[in-house]
Amino acid sequence: MGKHDVSGIASPNWLTTRAEALFDWVKQRVDPAVNWSRANSLWPMPFGTACCAIEFMAAAASRFDFARFGMERQAFSPRQADVLICAGRLPFKLAPVIRRIYDQMPQPKWVISMGACASTGGVFDNYAMVQGIDTVVPVDVYVPGCPPRPEGLLYGVLLLHKKIKGESLVTAGLRDEQPLDDRGLRLPPATIDEISEPFGNSLHQFRSA
Amino acid sequence: MTQSYLIFTILLVFVALNAAILIGVSHLVAPRKPTVLKGTPYESGMPPLGTARERFSVKFYLVAMLFIVFDIETVFLVPWATIYLGADGGTGPSMGFLLVEALVFIGILFAGYVYVWKRGAFEWD
Amino acid sequence: MNPSVAALRATFGSAIGRAMELCGDTIVYVDRAHLVDVLRWLRDTPGQAYDYLVDVTAVEYRDRERPLEVVYFLRALARVADLRVKVELDPAGELAVDSVASLWAGANWLEREVYDMFGVTFRGHPDLRRILMWETYAEGYPLRKDFPLRGRFSRAEQVRQALNANPEAHYSLEELSLADVQAELPPDMVDRLRRGERGTVPHSE
Repeated sequence: MGKHDVSGIASPNWLTTRAEALFDWVKQRVDPAVNWSRANSLWPMPFGTACCAIEFMAAAASRFDFARFGMERQAFSPRQADVLICAGRLPFKLAPVIRRIYDQMPQPKWVISMGACASTGGVFDNYAMVQGIDTVVPVDVYVPGCPPRPEGLLYGVLLLHKKIKGESLVTAGLRDEQPLDDRGLRLPPATIDEISEPFGNSLHQFRSA
Repeated sequence: MTQSYLIFTILLVFVALNAAILIGVSHLVAPRKPTVLKGTPYESGMPPLGTARERFSVKFYLVAMLFIVFDIETVFLVPWATIYLGADGGTGPSMGFLLVEALVFIGILFAGYVYVWKRGAFEWD
Repeated sequence: MNPSVAALRATFGSAIGRAMELCGDTIVYVDRAHLVDVLRWLRDTPGQAYDYLVDVTAVEYRDRERPLEVVYFLRALARVADLRVKVELDPAGELAVDSVASLWAGANWLEREVYDMFGVTFRGHPDLRRILMWETYAEGYPLRKDFPLRGRFSRAEQVRQALNANPEAHYSLEELSLADVQAELPPDMVDRLRRGERGTVPHSE
């Protein structure tokens, strides 16, 4: 909603008008510059676990080259990364690892979930795989595909650019950390169950045999 | 000459301004949200095991010391070479005198070098 | 049919069950009680010399009346010969077999995998714990036929357990430090460490 908290106070006076003008100035002048800088220099942290990592490498190589979109340097340390790209399926055993890596990234940070397995668990609807990394880390862009073509990943990156360019510095709480709650979960259990439910052909598969 | 100083000053001001703007704007605009977990060392996503304090072999210190000594010797030889080249036929010491002086200097340090060599300080293991 | 089968029957008699040849592979069934003796004989006898344990795995058939089989896949590298040795276990009874980790060092992890996935206990194994699932996994043994595809707990519970797990719980810095195990090191290794030697593997006699 473009209004900040100050305008919710009862009577507009000189101070609130000035504050509002400042916020608008920030939105008009500073935000586009900051968002342009952030979007065009997203350094990815490749969290490649499986086949999607190969397509990620293809997107990074010379034919498709996402360096021309600003992802010049793949940061293998979360400290220097802007966007965590989870490329591949995530076993439950690896879930605390990706959560810790996400927590160790400094703000501003975004997450791209690349591929069907990272987005929903993909073909692996079983006892060992996380059914979508959004049960573990907050995701900004989902790139479907098994694996997505490099052009698909690039489209996802461009969608992220668009999302970043719509952000604002004055939005309260946008760049706040969202830690796990005291149960150690990101979402309420009912939500996790709901988004992990089988769908499509998986509905007919319930035996190991 | 004044013109080159002017150019250099403009460059200096530009560089300083550039650095100040880059660091200053990043400092103002960047979100700062430290958490305890964010501050823990990065060990590929695993909980950190042990401290980062490690014992270093004293051989590194020895190599560094020897390097300093012989590097300073080289540093002294460089201006000596400048003077030596310009000493031919001018006033002041002759080239022969300069050569002998430099040889004495190198000779003293060479004696130290032989001592260190024979004592085995150049052996890594 | 691999001639080892006839040699086995001559040596062990009634401990050897049926033998068959399928798709060029020889399979021989062995009694559970004599398993380690049979495998040791196969490894040590000069004419057999099955020195490479390719895999240890298990099979549970979908027909409930068929027993659960533990399969040992042996290979003689010098002779280029393969042999598959199977032990039948009653799925309703005690799922336990003697460990062959003392015969082949590679059996350590292979048997851990069978334990993790089927729940077969290997008696005498030096370090029997889960290897693929995490060590405190409480839902059961995933590759059994009565284990549901998606596990026994709800997805939320699985995520919660996964996020609260400590991946390095088994290891502590003390276990990884040589200083505390000085007393247990072999004497030649202690000597070499004291002399500051690095990067050598103590050869085994």
